[in-house]
Amino acid sequence: MTDLSQNYFVSVAEIAAKLDQATTIAQKLSLTASNARAVALRAGERAAGFRPLTDFIDRLAEITIGSSKKINQMAAILSQTSAEKVRADGAILHFNSVYKIAHDSPHIHSLDEVYERCKSEKTRLEKTYRRQIEQLSEELATLSSELRNAVILATLSRVEASQAGAQYQDALINVADNVEGAAGKIKNHIKYSQQMVSTLEEY
Amino acid sequence: MKTQKLFECPSHTWIMFGRDDEKPEAIIDTNQYMVVTNNNSLLMDPGGIELFSAMLAAVIKQVPANKITHLFASHQDPDIISSLGLWDQALPSATLHSPWLWESFIRHFGMNNINYAAIPDEGNTLKLDGVALEFIPAHYLHSSGNFNVYDPEAKILMSGDIGAAMEAVDAPLFVEDFDEHAKKMRMFHQRWMPSNEAKNDWVRRVRKLDIEMMCPQHGRIFKGDDVKRFLEWFESLEVGVLNKG
Repeated sequence: MTDLSQNYFVSVAEIAAKLDQATTIAQKLSLTASNARAVALRAGERAAGFRPLTDFIDRLAEITIGSSKKINQMAAILSQTSAEKVRADGAILHFNSVYKIAHDSPHIHSLDEVYERCKSEKTRLEKTYRRQIEQLSEELATLSSELRNAVILATLSRVEASQAGAQYQDALINVADNVEGAAGKIKNHIKYSQQMVSTLEEY
Repeated sequence: MKTQKLFECPSHTWIMFGRDDEKPEAIIDTNQYMVVTNNNSLLMDPGGIELFSAMLAAVIKQVPANKITHLFASHQDPDIISSLGLWDQALPSATLHSPWLWESFIRHFGMNNINYAAIPDEGNTLKLDGVALEFIPAHYLHSSGNFNVYDPEAKILMSGDIGAAMEAVDAPLFVEDFDEHAKKMRMFHQRWMPSNEAKNDWVRRVRKLDIEMMCPQHGRIFKGDDVKRFLEWFESLEVGVLNKG
């Protein structure tokens, strides 16, 4: 196996690992939404504006978890295609070598049919590989754009927290910080994954 | 890769491939064998992935690819059959005969096209254009699911790892001085073969066969009286022991 193929196997695995971490963060975000809902309930009328925001935090967590799961599945399929692609590339190299070594063999052309089949399989796998990378790239971009809402959500949460009175203000500001912090971490993972995808596009 | 005809009669031919001086130095040298009948061929222990190109090139100098209809893997080791994923591309209609015990393991080498014909523990017979090739049980010698191939007409026993020796790539193909050769086999058999009971049972069964040539997967081929000498030597050797090189 070449360094090149090792690299793209590693890249696909790293994307899956990063999105797995994103799922864990999103699960914590979901817990933050539940806590915020409880605080907002205790704060009563003064935190009335905060309650709908907790639904948005929940939605953000759900989207991230769902999308991460989807990206993980896509990475697993891409990994399988990569393995098949390496095998097909390897077979072509071996056949090229056989044609070179046994060029004078009376039976050398008995390999032509399987050689042609291997070449078509290689072309098919290359197309599949490109298409799967494109899909992965699109899904990462969609998730990234959803996370932009987290900044707005955090800002609105801070505004509403300031209305909730001294007793609840700190707890609700903490919720806003958590949302912003979690979204930032997830965005970093996505950014890293997008960089990995761009290296995959080169192969 | 050297090619040597071992036996020829109107119905079939035995060919040995080995002593590949272009193989990477760190991998063990292996002997591959092929029986060619009128319309079919059985390629035995086709070798590791590193050897595939050289093997396929050597084989198609003898027969066209579509005539290699059967493969045999005596057991699951990588030097025996790790090339399977590539043979699977080259010979999509072939059948692989191998111990039932190893089927789900051997498939890890990659097998999407080739058909797996599981050999039962007691062995069985493959008939190629009327030529009978018997799969003789050789379990625990060394693998727990392991077979030899016996051709009663050619009087050849392909013995897998039994009779193997570590040799230089330019070593002669046949045993010339048995006592000298035994020194090269001793450690291999003591360390790799785990069971005296299995070994003695194999010796008892194989003694009853009419054998002119015993062909191991590594090292040299035994001819005539050297086959009997090997059986005596092997019977008296204690196996399954460590540090008795």
